[in-house]
Amino acid sequence: MISFLPTDEERAFVEVAGEFARNRLRESARDAEKARTPSDDVVSAAHDLGLLSLELPESLAGAELPLVSQVQVLEALAFGDLGIVQGMPGLCDSASVMRLLPHPERLELADGAAQRVPWIHVEPGEVAVIVERSGFRLEGVAFPRRSALGADQLLVSFLAPGGEAIVAWLDRTAAEWSEDAGDVRLGLLAAHIGRIGFEGTIVRPEDVLLRGDEAEQVIAGAKARVAVLEAAKCVGVMRASLEYTIEYTSQRKAFGQEIPKFQGVSFTVADMAIETEAARNLVWQAAHAVDSRGAEAMQDASRALAYALRSARFVTNQGVQMLGGAGYLQEYPVEKWMRDAQAQAVLYGKEMEWFERAGSRALGLAEKEGVLV
Amino acid sequence: MIDFELSPQQKQVRDMVHWFAEHEMRPISLLADKEERVPDEWLRKVNRMGITLSMSNFGGDAGKKEDDAPRKEPRERQANRLGVIAAEELAWGDPAIALSLPGPGLGGPPVMSTGTPEQKERFLGIFTREEPRWGAYALTEPGAGSDVSGIRTSAKKVDGGYVLNGHKVYITNGGRASWVVAFATVDPSLGRAGHRAFVVEKGTPGFTCTRVAHKMGLRASETAELVFEDCFVPIDNLLGGEAHYENRAGSSGFRVAMSTFDSTRPIVAAMAVGIARAAYEYTLEFVKQEYPRGQRVRHDVLAKLGEMDAKIHAARLLTWEAAWKADLGQPNAKEAAMCKAHAGRISLEVCADCLEIMGPIGLDGHLVEKLYRDVKVFDIFEGTNQIQHLIVARRLYEPHGLRL
Repeated sequence: MISFLPTDEERAFVEVAGEFARNRLRESARDAEKARTPSDDVVSAAHDLGLLSLELPESLAGAELPLVSQVQVLEALAFGDLGIVQGMPGLCDSASVMRLLPHPERLELADGAAQRVPWIHVEPGEVAVIVERSGFRLEGVAFPRRSALGADQLLVSFLAPGGEAIVAWLDRTAAEWSEDAGDVRLGLLAAHIGRIGFEGTIVRPEDVLLRGDEAEQVIAGAKARVAVLEAAKCVGVMRASLEYTIEYTSQRKAFGQEIPKFQGVSFTVADMAIETEAARNLVWQAAHAVDSRGAEAMQDASRALAYALRSARFVTNQGVQMLGGAGYLQEYPVEKWMRDAQAQAVLYGKEMEWFERAGSRALGLAEKEGVLV
Repeated sequence: MIDFELSPQQKQVRDMVHWFAEHEMRPISLLADKEERVPDEWLRKVNRMGITLSMSNFGGDAGKKEDDAPRKEPRERQANRLGVIAAEELAWGDPAIALSLPGPGLGGPPVMSTGTPEQKERFLGIFTREEPRWGAYALTEPGAGSDVSGIRTSAKKVDGGYVLNGHKVYITNGGRASWVVAFATVDPSLGRAGHRAFVVEKGTPGFTCTRVAHKMGLRASETAELVFEDCFVPIDNLLGGEAHYENRAGSSGFRVAMSTFDSTRPIVAAMAVGIARAAYEYTLEFVKQEYPRGQRVRHDVLAKLGEMDAKIHAARLLTWEAAWKADLGQPNAKEAAMCKAHAGRISLEVCADCLEIMGPIGLDGHLVEKLYRDVKVFDIFEGTNQIQHLIVARRLYEPHGLRL
């Protein structure tokens, strides 16, 4: 039964998240960007409100919310500030892997939910995997990823030589890796973006959580979940830019009248609204689909993410454009949202690749939703 | 609860209409386009089957405001959702033929929402007969396209009724219709408050169809020009009766005209989605057959297909949202405009990209070429893309005290 109506519970949760986003996240966005991390008190307030463990399974003290509820909360949070949301501990991609593990309770998170654990899913040609007598050895530098800096634990997944999928959990106490903040200036500066350097890092047999088909299933499922969650955050930053643009332009006069009376402005803003609504609907639909069908709903999830990334770039760019010169100044928030949205698209995007894979699936070319797809 | 699965009833409607579209519409699609008409025999057959693009069956009650009497039905209405689901499938079959299906058409909603019980009985009752019948909706004039408040067709009060004089254009099924809901003004200086809606019956002296237009697409659909020359319309044909216009604040006739769009725009958007999907699926099959096993499909082609899939889904969900709001009895003007604007735009893009993928071969007797010609008007009629943007922008700035 087609319905766009959130439940009362969802609405209540979104209200709490929305208020927190407006009052705390929006307010501290520039400071967090400068400090390159959300402040401790913002993190602990988010933790107290239960906003950091939405995706984690109950056995790891998480809320284990359905995606369809989470996307609403994340949208509300990212409306406050996407940069801070991406820098929050707990809201890491690895949470989706943990959610799907058969025995997550075996993991020991260093500091409960308030922990940054990046998920390094090794892309082809990124990090070399060498079979050792005592497990695997990793050699190479992983691409920049969110939550990589300051992590005491890592979730890594890769294809072993021979094609077997592996999911492993590395802990600083036993494994070694280096981190490099690099020279990231574009956006999401509070998101702990960095490269992880593997220099002979050993993955011991006891570090391996899953292998083979089981590992593939978890990786595919987590990818679908991450796609939907990240798409939801895009909708939040779009809404922020849209609302601010409406507010600003309704006051701004030029040539003797409020500028929305020029259709070049009002039509653009209408387009921003249409794109935001379209992206949000796709996210909700994908969340609903992944909740009921898991990794089988990858088409829905990747469609939502590709569309949301494209729309987020469009909407936040137009937000700057509609503010004119003011939009370019850091006294106004829209330039930050534009940079953040673009950085988000770089981290999770390759939009054309998402579309390409969707096309392959539609043609029946991608027969198997393997870990590399 | 947020939900995107079709209910059993919705699935049933979709499957039934899809079957009809595939087995009854598609086979005559290219021929009807070529001959610029739908075969009479076919129309009689589908009339017997009871298939219609009837707004009063599928939708037609959007635009009701929240201050209307609260509803107490235990079951949620889903007429508008069923309407968009069915419209997508019918347009997938063939949009021109879909618009030619017997039934009250766009004339249905104003009769349903404003007509007196007698008028509803009299005008909607004819559609239960064995012979195909059509209704139509005559608003647009040569001098007043999107600015419908500027219509000039005059309605002069006389003893026992009104005398209409004026010229209407772009009227779907206007020539064959048994009656037309015609909008006229009793006094242009009153603006919207002067508008009246009449049901003018075929054969009324002074009411003629002067021309059936030739068009780029939707060729099988009849688009007529109508003229009223000292055309006397009895008072019983004033929609809602005299009291309706006296009792309600000022712009009632205009509101009748406009509220129709809140229920029909999602239908039109759904049709655009259906056309885009038809072109996409056709092209998908084409690519499958043109690229035999082992040959790689080019990356840009794959990406285009994926992009089309996303656009089509986005447009469909916006359409569902507008229809869902209408079913809940909530104002949906913004959502109706959004889905129409989005679907109108992307459907042309999708059809164009499909032609691009097919290349010159697509020009020659392929459905996609016809769909491309058909779909363009979905970005124009029922309010152009620009009008939709204006409506959306107005709603966005209204809360900030800015009137656009």
